[in-house]
Amino acid sequence: MKRIALAALLALAAASAAAQLLDFTDAETRAILRHGPWPAPWTPDPSNRASGIREAVDLGERLFFEPRLSPSGKVLCATCHAPFRGWQDSRARAFGLVEVDRNTPSLLNVRYNRWFGWDGAGDSLWAQSIRPILDAREMGGSQAQTAALVRADPEFSCRYAKVFGAPPPVSDEALLAGIAKALAAFQETLVAGRAAFDEFRDALEKGNRAAAARYPLAAQRGLRIFVGRGNCSTCHFGPAFSNGEFHDTGVPFFIAGGGVDPGRHGGIRKLTANPFNLLGRYNDDPTGGSATKTLHVSLEHRNFGEFKVPGLRNVARTAPYMHNGGLATLADVVRHYSEISPDRLHSDGEILLKPLRLSAEESADLVAFLESLTEIASALEPRRPSEPCR
Amino acid sequence: MEERRDAFRRHAQALIAAGLLAGAVGAAQACELPAGTRLESKRLELSYRTIPPRIKVGEHFALEFAACPKPGAALPERIKLDAWMPEHKHGMNYRPDLKPLGAGSYRSDGWLFHMPGRWEFVFDLGGERLTHSVRIE
Repeated sequence: MKRIALAALLALAAASAAAQLLDFTDAETRAILRHGPWPAPWTPDPSNRASGIREAVDLGERLFFEPRLSPSGKVLCATCHAPFRGWQDSRARAFGLVEVDRNTPSLLNVRYNRWFGWDGAGDSLWAQSIRPILDAREMGGSQAQTAALVRADPEFSCRYAKVFGAPPPVSDEALLAGIAKALAAFQETLVAGRAAFDEFRDALEKGNRAAAARYPLAAQRGLRIFVGRGNCSTCHFGPAFSNGEFHDTGVPFFIAGGGVDPGRHGGIRKLTANPFNLLGRYNDDPTGGSATKTLHVSLEHRNFGEFKVPGLRNVARTAPYMHNGGLATLADVVRHYSEISPDRLHSDGEILLKPLRLSAEESADLVAFLESLTEIASALEPRRPSEPCR
Repeated sequence: MEERRDAFRRHAQALIAAGLLAGAVGAAQACELPAGTRLESKRLELSYRTIPPRIKVGEHFALEFAACPKPGAALPERIKLDAWMPEHKHGMNYRPDLKPLGAGSYRSDGWLFHMPGRWEFVFDLGGERLTHSVRIE
């Protein structure tokens, strides 16, 4: 009997220790609630008439896994954006036909971006989808080769006609835009599932303290740093944990061969020169509203060395980190911000960044919080066998 | 596109100057400010509102404003609009335009606040600086 009572007492104590809720202030609670709900609302991309169309998703999925998009027949979109690696490649720097200068970002939640790529050179997901196809270092394709593939392949051309209501056009450029829009329609379906953090956040919103207390204490402490003195949530803002913009965070931007990666500055220059940008003829948005960002984006000297703020959902599965893949683990990333040198930042850069001087326990807590952003279960539909197109 | 944008800005500035001169003529007759947030300096009164009224982080918004000179003053020929985060010491990543709507009113599109916190609108009317802070959650 004594043993049973002791066991019950121990179980109670363990449960009590496991189920604690920090006394978050109103300001902290407001900041936490801003990171949800998840999944966040989304509406189809008005610049892409294929966005949200089932047939376009099917075509885009086939193209995504099509090695012939590269003339080498060896590189497909999924080479770098591998589904089983969190839709990235686990390499420091991407390797298509050769190694490039930047890390492969995950495609999960890509539909929530305002700008695409580390430098934001793409103002739409479909425009961004063209870049690796044509990049000599990645897939090494061309407009003519890509267009010829889709025209000659009965399955692709049939599916193209179903999506766009007409056979593949004569213009290679127009056809490439259509191919990219189908690729984007597929990528828009790649959304992370709910994480332990989301259960906590929603419980907090409902005032359900018992449910909120199931969130590990270390993650709660890390979250408090994240929305508090760490100032992390100022840039890693909103349900996808990114404000969608660009910052210099003191990560070196020197590249192999002695060059410099100009980051956002180069991205804006590429954007303005891109015939597929949203100010061009291939934007399907009759209101023009989707091009507001492109029309008004401002090229500033401070854009040198700025890179996009990545979303953090599933971040524990997408090592290595930063635009150059220079940090191997989440602990390394936390250490970077804990010890950041203001001397490495632009003089007109983000003064919010100061060394956090986190203790070992605090660093571990912040990592625990970041790990709690990992999806509990995938939200993706399983790939379906599809009938041949007729 | 950069050239297009520069050309657009030059055109907008020209329109602004012309619009303000026209506004100055009209101001001699009557100048009424529409509803909105009122700002005042030695020589000017200004009213502005944002569209939509609630600014959200990461969402584009527009701004409409009207300015009236005080007795004995005239509206300036040049006007600049901007916003920045004083605590962060940086501005926006976007450059809004400015279009005259007539009768001394203007519309400006292309605003986007990309971070939560305190932002300060800056209305620079011929060197006279009117500011207003808003906190964005």
